Amino acid sequence: MKVFSNDCTFNYSWEEVSTGNWVKYCPWNDQSTHVIAVDTLSRQVDPKTGILRTERLITCKQSAPQWLNSLMGSSDVSLVFETSYVDLASKKVTMTSSNMTWSNLLSVHETVVYQPLSERQTRFSQEAKITALCGGWQKVKNAVEEATVCRFSENARKGKEGFESVLEMSRRVFSEERQKEQNQRKMVAA
Amino acid sequence: MSSSLAPECNEVKERYDSCFLKWYSEKYLRGKGQKDECAALFNDYKHCLTVSFPTLTSRIISDDPKGALKERGIDKMLEEAREDHKDSDAVHMRRTCKFIAEQN
Repeated sequence: MKVFSNDCTFNYSWEEVSTGNWVKYCPWNDQSTHVIAVDTLSRQVDPKTGILRTERLITCKQSAPQWLNSLMGSSDVSLVFETSYVDLASKKVTMTSSNMTWSNLLSVHETVVYQPLSERQTRFSQEAKITALCGGWQKVKNAVEEATVCRFSENARKGKEGFESVLEMSRRVFSEERQKEQNQRKMVAA
Repeated sequence: MSSSLAPECNEVKERYDSCFLKWYSEKYLRGKGQKDECAALFNDYKHCLTVSFPTLTSRIISDDPKGALKERGIDKMLEEAREDHKDSDAVHMRRTCKFIAEQN
């Protein structure tokens, strides 16, 4: 098993980041182009705790190294199942995800947490546990795990850059919306 | 907004996503999220996905004849993934263990 972990800070409030998180893979993000579809499968607010629980199906299209493809005989489309929890009371977003495709050969379990650092800053922590399940040589397993970790770190870097543009655009759009609403109110009042 | 895996559901998805985002930022984050205001739109979207899944499965299978989808289908794979995520529910939903709840 290999563990990939990554932490970074976004200079946006937790409210902004947790909202932007729902549109992370929109056209404003020109970096994370490997995510081609995001579908919500279920969503509820727990009446006791107020926790918002969401299940999503994430579709990625990314070519694997050729040797890995020939080993796995898989296409470049992969499906990821994600369950996320927004705990408003403790201001914490947790997203857990695992691979649905290639699961006979590889197990990837990822956890992402967004928590406020201050009023204006949010901490992002990511950890992925990657285990090659293919029987056989340790050498092959190691190579499969290493290739996956490498892809993870590349996607993480792109993900941060892409999410930064989403946050920037969201802030702009939200403030424009607010301005519009204020103007409308003024017009009604006048 | 992101696309749907089923292109035919993009329109209903877009409507639902916009509704949800508005509800999330204006109601839920302000502690007023008890009422699900987007339920009707979500049902439309979910219905579209359910109808499209069999076609989707065959579309992915034709790209990937040796893949897991052919043997198991998307519903079965989702079921397995859900089962796999049950442990994280216990951790992140702040659930009390059944035996402790019974003692109290």
